[in-house]
Amino acid sequence: MTKAGDWQSYRRVLLPPVKDLHHLDVYRAQGGYEALRTVLNDWKPEEVTAEVKRSGLRGRGGAGFPTGLKWSFMPPVKPDVPRYLCCNADESEPGTFKDRQLMEYNPHLLFEGILIAGYAMSLKACYLYVRGEFSSWITLLQNELSKVYDAKLAGSNILGTDYSMDIIMHKGAGAYICGEETSLMESLEGKRAYPRIKPPFPAQSGIWGYPTTINNVETLACAPIIIDRGGDWFAGVGAKKHPGPVLYGISGHVNRPGVYEYPTGMLITDLLEIAGGMRDNKKLKALVPGGASVPVLRADMIDGVTMDVESLHEAGSMMGTAGMLFLDEDTDMVAFLRRVARFYHHESCGQCTPCREGTGWMENLITRIDDGEGNLRDLDLLLDLCDQMEGRTVCALADAAAWPVRNTIKRFRGDFERRCRPSAWAVNT
Amino acid sequence: MADFIRNPVVALPDSNPEAHFSEEELVFTPEEKAKIVDYVAQYPTPDGAVMWVLWLAQEKFGFLPPEVMRLVATELSLPYAQVYGVATFYTQFFKEKKGTFVLDVCTCFSCQFCGGYDTLAYLEEKLGVKRGHTTPCGRYTLQEAECLGACGSAPMMQVSNGPYAYNLTPEKIDALLAAMEAGKPLPFVSVTLPQDEDEMGGNRRTDAEAVEHYVVPPQAKRTQ
Ligand SMILES: Cc1cc2nc3c(=O)[nH]c(=O)nc-3n(C[C@H](O)[C@H](O)[C@H](O)COP(=O)(O)O)c2cc1C
Ligand code: SF4
Ligand code: FES
Repeated sequence: MTKAGDWQSYRRVLLPPVKDLHHLDVYRAQGGYEALRTVLNDWKPEEVTAEVKRSGLRGRGGAGFPTGLKWSFMPPVKPDVPRYLCCNADESEPGTFKDRQLMEYNPHLLFEGILIAGYAMSLKACYLYVRGEFSSWITLLQNELSKVYDAKLAGSNILGTDYSMDIIMHKGAGAYICGEETSLMESLEGKRAYPRIKPPFPAQSGIWGYPTTINNVETLACAPIIIDRGGDWFAGVGAKKHPGPVLYGISGHVNRPGVYEYPTGMLITDLLEIAGGMRDNKKLKALVPGGASVPVLRADMIDGVTMDVESLHEAGSMMGTAGMLFLDEDTDMVAFLRRVARFYHHESCGQCTPCREGTGWMENLITRIDDGEGNLRDLDLLLDLCDQMEGRTVCALADAAAWPVRNTIKRFRGDFERRCRPSAWAVNT
Repeated sequence: MADFIRNPVVALPDSNPEAHFSEEELVFTPEEKAKIVDYVAQYPTPDGAVMWVLWLAQEKFGFLPPEVMRLVATELSLPYAQVYGVATFYTQFFKEKKGTFVLDVCTCFSCQFCGGYDTLAYLEEKLGVKRGHTTPCGRYTLQEAECLGACGSAPMMQVSNGPYAYNLTPEKIDALLAAMEAGKPLPFVSVTLPQDEDEMGGNRRTDAEAVEHYVVPPQAKRTQ
């Protein structure tokens, strides 16, 4: 049983089928910026946060934290203390490409969401942190943003009210770690993007020490929909504990890869069918359900599993960013893991020893196995390494590197053992 | 990133490497200075503008040798060490001279299994240069990139920190290289969503002309 309900007749709201929706006038003709007007004129800020809480919206950036709750962590407003929002458009999690499509097709939904969030938390400005590789999309966003300012929808006295808020673009320069919230803030402050130790949490001390909230692009884009249709409508879409529309980024060995909008709680098997099934009629071997950081699932583990936190947790994985990679029967899992380890080694910021050295060791060991020179005991050494890395570092990158390594080895141990030389000595741990 | 700690790719601040640019070349024009003032105004302190100004400098000089970093530091009244630290942290800031076109081929995750390495190998053969190197004529630098956020259109590559080229095939690569040889700017390509194909017969953004090749975008008008 899928939790998504009647998904066949689901009508898209994040990426609705409207031509040229990225133009301000087209967006407004569709009722765009009306949610913002309603909120500014008739709602109190805390009512907005309450509605978002009621909707059950969880962050779409990977951690799945309840958004309304996050917003309510902001301390009481003090005059002279500016408060900020950071919109996380650093999308660099391998296998994730939904935010880019949202910024391409529906940028105004994002801007409106930012302004609504800004009103709910009484913010001075939002920094929209876009990864540097998306320079074309930065230009596109910037063009639309200028029109938003011209139409008095952002800036001072928005829509003639006394509420003012700025949206400021920031361009990254190619570092996965900048997606981590505290690292993103360091990067904004013009430093090397080393993640900070928490606490203090961003709501207490964020950019330049001011109260800050940080949300993903897709999360913020849900805000106008929640205002427009009501929190109860949103809560009724998809899985109960993880409701709402979600952008599934499907890639790998499928016939029709791409971004699909459906409710949460979709059966993985349904999504595979929607994406045209496996290429060349091959069999499915493995699935990564939410970007490179989440544990991989074997084909025999996905029966009846739906795309929401609960079901995926039971199955032994996580929702992550909903960037799903389907791999077929010919896939070499050792080569897969080798490349994943390389990614984390390259992207580790180097601040914590377990992460800096651990990711390097991981890459070296897996490379050795892939080259046919590994020993069986290397597998146990790798698993031990995962234990040494997890939970011992400043940010979650080390965990994100350990999870796929541990689970790929555990779930595809045969593939790895076949490539190793037998070894008589056990690992002493 | 982690690599920079062990093997700094540019001379450290206390050594005196040979400069690539002369004193006369190392200036920002009045227009560029006005842009920098705008960037600085967007942040509570000038530090926030460092990345924007490094982008501006890289666009102007092509890469960021120590003397350019020093120019940026002077312009923002920041310590050179801070600018050096930022510039060396990010992969897209080039610390050494690159070819006219930098080809970043994604070989990560989805692209790995959808032909990323085939694309890379094809380009290596075609350009006669190994990954991580520049052709002797100085036109192309071939690089292996981490996930560029376009996994549904694998294999793909990015050209000179600018446009993306999707679903690469040998024919497509040949056509792209021919266009670059002819000096044509690569167009912005919009990806059709599968659901749009079904529901409305496709939907692509048509404002390709709005995206210039390798551009640092203008600023939004500010409140104050
Ligand atoms: C190593 C690492 C990388 C991350 N990268 C991203 C990213 O690229 N985009 C994103 O939205 N969140 C990313 N996150 C999650 C953010 O830290 C943060 O949880 C998220 O932006 C919060 O937004 P949300 O509550 O709307 O999901 C990353 C986290 C870690 C630990
Ligand atoms: S865990 Fe890794 S990426 Fe995160 S702060 Fe430590 S060294 Fe940096
Ligand atoms: S894996 Fe190549 S773009 Fe994401």
